[in-house]
Amino acid sequence: MSTTTAIADPRQRLSDTLREAASKYGLIAVLLALPVYLAISDLAQKGTLTDLGNNLVLGLSNGAIIALIALGYTLVYGIIELINFAHGEVFMIGSFVAFGLWGTFGIHEGMGVPGMIVGLLAAMLAAMLVCGGLNVMIERVAYKPLRNAPKLAPLITAIGMSFILQNVGILWLGSSQASVPDLINQSHDLLTVGGVVINNGDVLAAAVTIPLVLLLTTFINRSRLGKAMRATAQDPDAARLMGINVNTTISMTFLLGGMLAGAAGLINLLYQTSIWYLQGFQAGLIAFTAAVMGGIGNLKGAVLGGFIIGVIQQLAEFRLGAEWTAVVVFTYLIMIMVFRPQGLIGEETREAG
Amino acid sequence: MSTPVEMPPPATGPGSAAPLLATEHVSKTFGGLVAVNDVTFEIPERSIVSIIGPNGAGKTTFFNMLTGLYKPSVGRIVFDGKDISRTRPDRITTLGIARTFQNIRLFATMSAVENVMVGQHARMKAGLIGSILRPPKVRREERDVEEKAREMLSYVGLAKSVHDELAVNLSYGDQRRVEIARALASDPRLLLLDEPTAGMNPQESDRLTAFMRRLRDERNLTILLIEHDMKVVMGVSERITVLDHGEKIAEGDPIEVRANPLVVEAYLGKQG
Amino acid sequence: MSALLAGTPLKGRENFAIAVVALAAAALLPLFFDPLSNITNNCILAAAYVVMALGLNIVVGFAGLLDLGYVAFYALGAYTIGWFASDHFSSVDGGEGFHVAAGEFASNLPGIHLNFLLIIVVAVVIVGIAGMLIGLPTLRLRGDYIAIVTLAFGEIIYRFAINGDEINFAEGYKLTNGRQAISPIDSIDLPFFAPFDSAFSLRPFYWFCLVLVGVVLLVNFRLRDSRLGRAWIAIREDEVAAASMGVPLVKTKLLAYATGAAFGGISGAFLGSYLTSVNANNFTFGFSIFILAMIILGGLGSIWGVAIGAILLSFINTYFIPDVFNTVPSKFGLDFDLTILNFGIFGFLILLVMVLRPQGILPERRRALELTEGVGAGDAIEVRTP
Repeated sequence: MSTTTAIADPRQRLSDTLREAASKYGLIAVLLALPVYLAISDLAQKGTLTDLGNNLVLGLSNGAIIALIALGYTLVYGIIELINFAHGEVFMIGSFVAFGLWGTFGIHEGMGVPGMIVGLLAAMLAAMLVCGGLNVMIERVAYKPLRNAPKLAPLITAIGMSFILQNVGILWLGSSQASVPDLINQSHDLLTVGGVVINNGDVLAAAVTIPLVLLLTTFINRSRLGKAMRATAQDPDAARLMGINVNTTISMTFLLGGMLAGAAGLINLLYQTSIWYLQGFQAGLIAFTAAVMGGIGNLKGAVLGGFIIGVIQQLAEFRLGAEWTAVVVFTYLIMIMVFRPQGLIGEETREAG
Repeated sequence: MSTPVEMPPPATGPGSAAPLLATEHVSKTFGGLVAVNDVTFEIPERSIVSIIGPNGAGKTTFFNMLTGLYKPSVGRIVFDGKDISRTRPDRITTLGIARTFQNIRLFATMSAVENVMVGQHARMKAGLIGSILRPPKVRREERDVEEKAREMLSYVGLAKSVHDELAVNLSYGDQRRVEIARALASDPRLLLLDEPTAGMNPQESDRLTAFMRRLRDERNLTILLIEHDMKVVMGVSERITVLDHGEKIAEGDPIEVRANPLVVEAYLGKQG
Repeated sequence: MSALLAGTPLKGRENFAIAVVALAAAALLPLFFDPLSNITNNCILAAAYVVMALGLNIVVGFAGLLDLGYVAFYALGAYTIGWFASDHFSSVDGGEGFHVAAGEFASNLPGIHLNFLLIIVVAVVIVGIAGMLIGLPTLRLRGDYIAIVTLAFGEIIYRFAINGDEINFAEGYKLTNGRQAISPIDSIDLPFFAPFDSAFSLRPFYWFCLVLVGVVLLVNFRLRDSRLGRAWIAIREDEVAAASMGVPLVKTKLLAYATGAAFGGISGAFLGSYLTSVNANNFTFGFSIFILAMIILGGLGSIWGVAIGAILLSFINTYFIPDVFNTVPSKFGLDFDLTILNFGIFGFLILLVMVLRPQGILPERRRALELTEGVGAGDAIEVRTP
């Protein structure tokens, strides 16, 4: 046999690498532009970075919620290469279910801390189970039967489901945003670091998200099902030949994604102290932006993207007003799609063909 | 046959020394994988040339670079005196290169006639407004294009009864015919056929090789084939180029190539 | 009829005949009702939605580009008339206003007032350019990503519409009037006809819209059976093969976006005038899905199907749900307003159609094959059921 071919012209490899680096660092530069600009202007005008610090904390906490939802998108996309259009609504239902259970579990303001922790954990688990199941049902109705159809078919079906779920929200609690009892006294200043305030809410967000993400990554990397998921994501036909039940694996992936969305639903309740049937639509698009920014299909990317988008969103809200944050985030989404669809740590895709 | 639209005057012609198509040190890398490595190659006008090689040798990748689907990582491709290394696929078709695909890529929900009409897209002039207003010029063009499509289908041997049949309902052999007709519809000067005899029995292969000769002689076409069927290759090629692991390992007329030990080794593995 | 249901396309002459008969019958309809009847109102809305649905059908049905942000073109068309046929820009020319063939009444008002026919031209230009700008980022993206990007654009335009009253680009020149709406909008004043007056009779609006429907039907049929139409289908089925056959991908896709957008813009301008107000509240994502549902229900890619789907869904929305179904709960002794189930009913309809009969009521032959048998589905999902 002839010897393996030599590497192609080193000049070509260099220019490929440069192009890749340019788009990656270009994206990072664009992302950093806003916070850096604000830092400089804050220093110039106010002399301290506390505003920026506070916004960072708020952004990261919000980002934790977004990260959980983004993980759901990325898990599903990794395995069937499709966006779960109804995922945002699953998150919304999670909030509704958790809220509904507060009464049932006797959780109320002013109850003792241990009781509250137990109650909230129970509500979260319930929400996770319901949302997991809901996501599986969405897969069974919208995605599985249309596997051989053109891609727009399952997308449209999922949109139909998301509208139905939104209506469930309207029927449950009406069409306007409602406020929710501030169970954990979320705005209570827990500690202050160098002028930057950290609330109960921020601690909660971190305290729930970090363990969940660690659990998820451990599960994906160590368990049999996790391995099956990774194999199916890489090559479904090969996975099937190895004896993996691809259908079950896909359903399990939807289950996991749904559970994460359910957890996010509960945290959102406690953190935002509000609930609304449209919160899923909004959060869904933002979380999808986060997933794409990190690199769709990449779990670390989803978490990273979540935090980044959370910060961007918070900074935009602070400077431009809440009504413009969506525009900022969606502009980022479009830019990423055009200039670097593989996100920060995703893989380069093949050209043409 | 109607005069093709927008065809540049040929820089080469029968009897001229310049090749119709030439690649100069062309390579293609995908990430870490080198699919084609430093291939320099020429096709003289009005000839039938084959590219052969074991599976994975980079033949289809090479084709894809010739038709603009991939851009070469290194090197140049020159067609009719023009550098087409970075030209878009549809522009390349307008310039005069047409192709078929290894795994037939007809437009499944279109009829055979409609498929061939799409093949003439580059030779038609009707734009958005013309299509809406349908002035007599456009109506005539539509009629001519449909007529030419049917002619082309008959030329490649498709029975009239199935001209209006949906592509997905045609037999495998008929689908191959339609693909060739569709490629011919753009009045190319160079026709690239990617494994055209795959799935054919010996009689069908013979008919196809005879047809290729007809194309060369009657329509002044230059044909470049990728082929696995050695009988076809040896029978119809004026010259053969052999690729292995992305590199050109041999080139020459059928007798030379057949006797070349490197070629034998590439196909059968090292002996002894 | 059975041919239509099976999806075989009709000949040009047959289509023309059907169109003439249908439009003539439709034109006679309002004569049976009071000039200001609510039924005529519903018919006008239905006709306007038919125009939009046929526009979206070009993008999604013909070219296969899943555009979920069609409301952006509705909004831009509406704001075209909001800006150029009202007193929104009241400071123009020191309060004197700028008028072009604006008709007796409007010629003395401040603000910019262009004749409605001019508005249509301006709207087509604005919306056509917007369509190409929105389409540009999607050119190298796959199906579901196109959906998200167009959705994002739709949302961005919605936000600008809602918050446009905060944006002043010169003294007294606001971008939009947000939820307060730009109002009143000039009525339609055509040469040789008396100006339309919606306080007097709705019929002229209806007949004008029927003319729009006729034009749009003509454009659709002509394009479908043309070089461009074939190019759109080829791109939808197999982009790579299409490009290899000489179809320029960028130009062809942008033409689809621009043409589809133009219809949305024209209809948007018409609705702005008819409703005599341009309110940002109308430009939500839900509207994009409303129009999409029409083409799904009617039959993706099928011109007659989409028209029927649009009429059906429009009447379900404006008549059946509020007036007919809403009487049902009280018959059971329930105090329940069914109109809040709008979302859910549409979602359920979409679901039902996609699962039971994805090719829609009046299927288009090719799409029916793609949707029911997965033939030529160039981008079907990788995982195949064993």
